[in-house]
Amino acid sequence: METITPKKEWSAAIRLNHWLRVICISFLIITGLYIAEPYTIEKGWTGEKMFMAEVRFWHIFFGMSIGLLFIWRFYLSFFSRFHADWQDFLAWTNWTNVKQELRFYFLLSKEPPEAKYLFDPLQSLSYLGFMVMLFGLILTGTIMMGAGYDQGLTALVYRIVKPVEIWIGGLATIRWIHHIMMWGVILFMAIHVNMAFLHDYLFKEGTVSSMISGTLFHRSHK
Amino acid sequence: METEGDAYRRKVKTQYRELLSHCQENLDRMEGELPKPRVNLHEELTSQGISRRDFIKWTSVTTALLMLPPVFKPLVARAAEQFSRLPVVWLHFAECTGCSEALLRTSYPNVDSILLDTISLEYHETLMAAAGHQAEQNLEKALADFNGKFICVVEGALPRGLDGKYLTLGPKGKTGIALAREVTSKAAAVICIGSCASFGNVQAAKPNPTDAASIGWALKIQTVNIAGCPPNPANFVGTVLHYLLFGGLPALDSLGRPIWAYRMRIHDYCERRPHYDAAEYVEEWGDMAAAKGWCLYKMGCKGPYTYGNCGKVRFNDAVSWPIMAGHGCMGCTEPGFWDTMAPLEKPIDEKTLGGGEKTIDTLGVTLLGATLAGIGAHAGLMAVKHRDKLHIYETSHKE
Repeated sequence: METITPKKEWSAAIRLNHWLRVICISFLIITGLYIAEPYTIEKGWTGEKMFMAEVRFWHIFFGMSIGLLFIWRFYLSFFSRFHADWQDFLAWTNWTNVKQELRFYFLLSKEPPEAKYLFDPLQSLSYLGFMVMLFGLILTGTIMMGAGYDQGLTALVYRIVKPVEIWIGGLATIRWIHHIMMWGVILFMAIHVNMAFLHDYLFKEGTVSSMISGTLFHRSHK
Repeated sequence: METEGDAYRRKVKTQYRELLSHCQENLDRMEGELPKPRVNLHEELTSQGISRRDFIKWTSVTTALLMLPPVFKPLVARAAEQFSRLPVVWLHFAECTGCSEALLRTSYPNVDSILLDTISLEYHETLMAAAGHQAEQNLEKALADFNGKFICVVEGALPRGLDGKYLTLGPKGKTGIALAREVTSKAAAVICIGSCASFGNVQAAKPNPTDAASIGWALKIQTVNIAGCPPNPANFVGTVLHYLLFGGLPALDSLGRPIWAYRMRIHDYCERRPHYDAAEYVEEWGDMAAAKGWCLYKMGCKGPYTYGNCGKVRFNDAVSWPIMAGHGCMGCTEPGFWDTMAPLEKPIDEKTLGGGEKTIDTLGVTLLGATLAGIGAHAGLMAVKHRDKLHIYETSHKE
């Protein structure tokens, strides 16, 4: 006999944060690709178009938003009242689980690794990598944003991040790194969505909907 | 009643008054200390066809350039008169002498270039008449006479490979590093002119066989970096005038460049900036957009990554500058210029990877395609492998 036990997996804060980041990242990639490789708008008078300026405005708007969302997520991983999950990002340090998961993904075993943590080992590694990339993108983005403004919050933040620009060796390199890391995020998104769908299909525990409802339905055979 | 604005203005006025008296004291002290003027500046200017009026206009421009209020104009003029009294030792290392050329040659003389002509060069490897042991004597004499008082201007990077033996000069075969260390240790200030001395430039670009480095990096000293390839003469003259006026070096940014000249990016005050914001780009050389003077961002303009005042000061008597002439900025005032700014006529993200034609975008698209194909195949295989389990789930619901 099989029993299905619903278990709350994600707090409302984590879910809201997740979907807001999805929106931000989608718009950031679209606007960012335009800024990297803009197309010319031939028609109209220069003074009335301001298309690039508007695209950059929205890019910076969503960039600032994801910066705040990142801080929020960082806070939650340490101080969430539901489940502070910072240790789950280190699930990949459990070597037996990594081996089992590799065997599972290489079709050598049917058993997934023991669910000791919130994330599977490889999942935790990719999430950690994603968080590092996100931090890098926000940092390099802040540098490029601050370089063009003299006043307000951006100028204040730029004073803090300027040493990073000097250390890395100028805005040109900063921009290149920003572009490379965007590709990293795109690859992460492709794999992440695929894995969520795959787990949903294989285990039928409602993996995809859990990020909306917050509940995962654990199956146990008895 | 006094408003906040009044209080602020009064404070600024007091500060400027203090600065003014400091400058006056400093100029008085300098006039007592420095050697006699080599030339009378005003006679020199008249003989070159520059009127008193032109000179006064020049002082206005230079005062504004140094970010000082108009009350400083007489002091700038006074400092300019002292220009030829400041002893200068000018060293050349691994470079093309283009900076000297840019500073000394002009289509017709302006005040900046005349000032540089009158500069009291105790030692300049390309301009001096002396050669061999005689030249060496001049240098030794200058170092002894003006110990701790002269300005050391350095042009060119220092090769560090083979203990510096890639660059030896003089009758005694001194290495560049030894000479630089000897002279800079006795100088009142070290001004690096050009990107080679400031950041290494093409000598330090990959693969850098001579292990060349900037003066500041090779000798581990603080230098004033007048970056640019070549830099604008106004930036050098302004820095020396600042030294004469205030008795010290101007405020520097974290890369050693004077803030008064290198505070903003080329992009921030570019005359083509409105076209950037309006999404009007030159797509290829010589198209209609180029004729209309649209933005050169897609032609690889490095203005957004480059700090400098080229667009404000311009070159050749403010006739033109690269972006005005229709080619994008190359980013020559930035460290790592050549390596980080390549490809010069394409945007940064079209930088090729390890030679060849591949860019980060081709790599990204390829990887994304491979990932999508891979995860598709993997998902199919997983579904086949776990088919029995899927079957169990389906039947268990029916029960």
